[in-house]
Amino acid sequence: MNKVFTDGLSFALPLLIIAVGALYSEKSGVTNLAAEGFQGVGAFFGALAATLLGPVIGNGNQAIIYIAILCAALGGALFSLIHGLLCIRFRANQVISGVVINILAVALTAFFTSAANSAISGNASNKFVLDVSTRFTIPLLSSIPWIGGIFTDMYPFEIMIAVLVVFLWYLLNRTRFGMRLRACGENPQAVDAAGANVNRIRWIAVMISGALCGIGGICFAYSMIGNFSPSIYQGFGYLAIAAMIFGNWKIGPTTLACLIFGLAKSGGLQLCIAAKLPSNYMDLFLMLPYILTLLLLVFFSKKNHPPKAAGEPFDKSKR
Amino acid sequence: MGDYIVEMRHITKRFPGIIANDDVSIGIRKGEVYALLGENGAGKSTLMSILFGTYEPDAGEILVRGQEVHFHSSTDAAACGIGMVHQHFKLVEPFTIAENIVLGVEPEEKRLGVLPWMNMKKANRQISELSKEYGLEVNPTDRIGDVPVSVRQRVEILKMLYRGAEIMIFDEPTAVLTPQEIDFLLQIIDNLRRNGKTILLITHKIAEIKRIADRCAILRQGKLIDIRDVADASTQELADLMVGRQVRFTQEKTAPNFGEPVLEVQHLTVKNEHKFDVVKDVSFTIRSGEIFAIAGVSGNGQGEIADAIAGLAKIADGNVILNGKEINDLNVRERCLSGISYIPEDRQETGTIPDMTLQENLSLREYFREPFSRKGILKQDPFRDYAEKLIGKYDIRCAQGPDTILRSMSGGNQQKAIVGREIEEKSRLIIFVQPTRGLDIGAIENVHRQILEERERGAAILLISLELDEIMNLADTIGVLYRGEILKIDSADRMTTQEVGRYMMGVKEA
Amino acid sequence: MFLSRRLTGKYASLWVSLLAILMTLAAASILLLAMGKNPLIAFRSFLQGCGMIPKENYGGGSGMLTDLLDFLNYLAPLILASLAFIAAFKAGLFNIGIAGQMLLAGFTATVLVGYNKGLSAVVAKPLVLLIGLLVGGMTGALIGWLKYRFNIHEVVSTIMLNYIISYLTGFFINNNYVDMMTRNSKVCSPDSRLTLTNIMIGDLKCKIPLGLIIAILIALLVSFLFRKTVLGFEIKAVGQNRRCSEYTGIRVNRTILLSMGLSGAIAGLAGVAYYLGYTNTIIPKTLPGMGYDSISVALLGSGAPIGSIFAAIVVSVFQQGANYMSSTVGVAKEIASLITGILLLFASCGNYMKYKAARKMQLAEDLRRTEGKEAKAL
Repeated sequence: MNKVFTDGLSFALPLLIIAVGALYSEKSGVTNLAAEGFQGVGAFFGALAATLLGPVIGNGNQAIIYIAILCAALGGALFSLIHGLLCIRFRANQVISGVVINILAVALTAFFTSAANSAISGNASNKFVLDVSTRFTIPLLSSIPWIGGIFTDMYPFEIMIAVLVVFLWYLLNRTRFGMRLRACGENPQAVDAAGANVNRIRWIAVMISGALCGIGGICFAYSMIGNFSPSIYQGFGYLAIAAMIFGNWKIGPTTLACLIFGLAKSGGLQLCIAAKLPSNYMDLFLMLPYILTLLLLVFFSKKNHPPKAAGEPFDKSKR
Repeated sequence: MGDYIVEMRHITKRFPGIIANDDVSIGIRKGEVYALLGENGAGKSTLMSILFGTYEPDAGEILVRGQEVHFHSSTDAAACGIGMVHQHFKLVEPFTIAENIVLGVEPEEKRLGVLPWMNMKKANRQISELSKEYGLEVNPTDRIGDVPVSVRQRVEILKMLYRGAEIMIFDEPTAVLTPQEIDFLLQIIDNLRRNGKTILLITHKIAEIKRIADRCAILRQGKLIDIRDVADASTQELADLMVGRQVRFTQEKTAPNFGEPVLEVQHLTVKNEHKFDVVKDVSFTIRSGEIFAIAGVSGNGQGEIADAIAGLAKIADGNVILNGKEINDLNVRERCLSGISYIPEDRQETGTIPDMTLQENLSLREYFREPFSRKGILKQDPFRDYAEKLIGKYDIRCAQGPDTILRSMSGGNQQKAIVGREIEEKSRLIIFVQPTRGLDIGAIENVHRQILEERERGAAILLISLELDEIMNLADTIGVLYRGEILKIDSADRMTTQEVGRYMMGVKEA
Repeated sequence: MFLSRRLTGKYASLWVSLLAILMTLAAASILLLAMGKNPLIAFRSFLQGCGMIPKENYGGGSGMLTDLLDFLNYLAPLILASLAFIAAFKAGLFNIGIAGQMLLAGFTATVLVGYNKGLSAVVAKPLVLLIGLLVGGMTGALIGWLKYRFNIHEVVSTIMLNYIISYLTGFFINNNYVDMMTRNSKVCSPDSRLTLTNIMIGDLKCKIPLGLIIAILIALLVSFLFRKTVLGFEIKAVGQNRRCSEYTGIRVNRTILLSMGLSGAIAGLAGVAYYLGYTNTIIPKTLPGMGYDSISVALLGSGAPIGSIFAAIVVSVFQQGANYMSSTVGVAKEIASLITGILLLFASCGNYMKYKAARKMQLAEDLRRTEGKEAKAL
């Protein structure tokens, strides 16, 4: 039971930060199906930084993880500029742009991972091997019955993400910047008339989105996957978008949706282990989050209210 | 010339394909109500958008309080004390009234010394006070999505006042209001003038200019035609200047010749997605040769009635009967084929497929049957022949004939195409929703003439319009809609504009 | 100005595609130069790998023709996959799940027909096609149904289905059909394959891709559908303006279902052409990369069915020639996907290019008009 919470959270929180990333972009009026690509490329930059720095500051030094997270955020933001360019500047169809970004991300990271590896070690491997982040347990809290698992074997990034999400909620809902950002997604003309620069706000939102997705990606690489390889693309970005949709584009409910995904995933896995099924059957349980997503979408999609202006490029001359 | 608070000199503004303003010069004195009169597309809104900083002019200069200014955005204009109420309100529906007002000038404070924080409580209080001061009462915490159009307009005015605007631009402010609300608005404007504000009023309604404006500039096709003192100019004179020729104000209408009932709507109820009754127990009958007009303020269920008859909205309760037969269970196509034509409110979103060619758009009611197609295979010639016939008959101007992409045509010609396509079906019932929205006077006359011709042919016509003048001019019978209910149905010649206006605001039998 | 005129003219889409290819080649050249390689040699190797230019030497039983036939064998499913994307795209839907639909159809046909040794070629091959059509079509229709009935965005639902299909088929392959040597699924019987193998042409051992015939046939059919039929017209109408289609009396839900079903069915054909033609085996838990390449192809072909045949050739040259290029030039073969990705990036800017060109033309026109006016005034 404890294991369910421990693993569930370590999956749910990176998912959450990606979902909040997608949410920032969509709230500003830029449809974001590119979360999958953002998180992969972000993770690539983080892992690359870790691989390069490893020998310099000593392998196993946990500080590398924080540098990697920072680089993942920067890398995700950098890559998101392409989405911004296509959607904001070139007024391309934002759904197409998202798909383009995702395809490009897979190709880019695959190519440059092997290119970087052959340059560093002479071996054109398609993965960066990463240390697994250390875990810690909060005393007292972890011995609470039932939910003690939440505070057992935590990754440090879980705390970081939790704090970050609270801050992001505050930024979106209690500050001038957040209010303008939300207004851009509903009625950009109103923001323009109020004297703010719609496209600048959207650019910032998309870059925040890229950075947050990048953080999510590197956290997956450092926990669940344990390396950076093409297996970073397992549809987590799309799961996060689904979570955002159930959450009706609100941070609170989105958090809940991510927790449900996380617990379903770890719960299924523990069930599989408890039932002593052969390892082949693991695949069936790995399907659970995706099936759950489809089912939840069936029940919750109909009544959703996406930001009204999402998907439409801002045209000043249009009234 | 030194007493002008705003001077615009030799302003020229080009957009791809058109010259919106061609060497226009105007000067406005402090404390006056200055009207800009012109048809749709005359360049009034562009000129004011330049003054408000939305566009930068290609040539010319702007002086405010004698100083030359260069506005790059509306922020610059706002800093000079210029505010604007746009024709299409710039409001964010899920936000509260107060949030909308402060957007762009948010009251941000520092909490704990570092964290920026918006103090909405303070803003709510300030806005409450401000609204009382100018007689524009609103509840700052209501959501914009929940309040009626007239309140939204007050919010737009409060936005300007909150920013301390001295020069206020109103773009077609009365287009969406009832006569009583218009009276109220004109009083507010008068009040603002007495408080020392300078008002610029964009309008194509001469009556309003006569009532409130001091001076008036007339624009036509981007050029300044004349500037007149309103007191010295007659209505007819202004109208002729605006259009550039003699204007007939009303269409000649033949005596009514009603036949048997074509459309009977009985106890119709339509729900929206929140299960809320947007149309409540509505009943009316339209006879052949009759124009039945539904008057009402925007958003009171007009569109839903039309959609329910055409089959686009689900009927929650009640019956729609066409030619004596109930059609509740028929789908859209079957209803069309049994004799309904429908000119919808939104040309580009509903009425046409803008990226298809004119010929395809003109054939949208026909393509699926012979001679346009046989056994699911499309033929080529019938499309072209039909399009050429309609282009000639309805005078649709198009650059590349039937192959013109619809989007590239002007709004007026798009509307001609829709009206032509629908009338050509020779249906027993024709639904017109806002048929003249955004058209210039010539095109409006044209559409009105076509409506009357169809009436003479013996069609039953359902006319839904927000323009009360249009309804008073054309209708045989008027039904007034308020919050989804029809409050009054009566013959048009027994009702005055004022009466209709009262019902539009929900006042029952006086 | 030359370009602007081309980009606003009748063949604008063709020019956009050509421009996108040129820009991609330029970008790829820069990349190769940065890695210290000669781009011209690299591009030549791509073509050599596809049997379009002769290589310096060939092994026994192989030659330029065998390379070319291998290339066509790869091309066939790619054309089909891009047609599948187009069928949904015309209705305004993004079938990102082509990979999953291919895998499910290929898996079902492999299990039902490929492993059934008793069927003769005459029965087995049509049966494979039929299963491809049905399985793919039903998956596609399911996505369409989820879209209109529950408002589930097709991009999300197709991706979810992709993973579900990938894990599910992976589970069955690992449990029942795995070849212990290769770790992939066991190969199909030759009678069920859509590629005829070991055909001797001269002294060359060749593969004859029957899938290519089907691909070209379907391309012609899809082209006919969208140019000449009522259904095609309705699908396009729904894709361009759903609200107006409803107003016109088109049954929008039925149209969405049909076009997604059609898209899935063609994807199913692509799947059988890929798994029972090109590869002859299934790698468990791996979606075919072709599912995404098909999007590049469709966008490069501006959504035109016949155009996508040519676009597919361009993309196939990179994907299929990558191995040989990698061995001669020494650049990782992943560069093929990167080039395809860049191609996709430029192709998706097509509308912007057209828009810019149209603006430029308009400005020039305005200038001419004002100058003309001034000349008159003088």
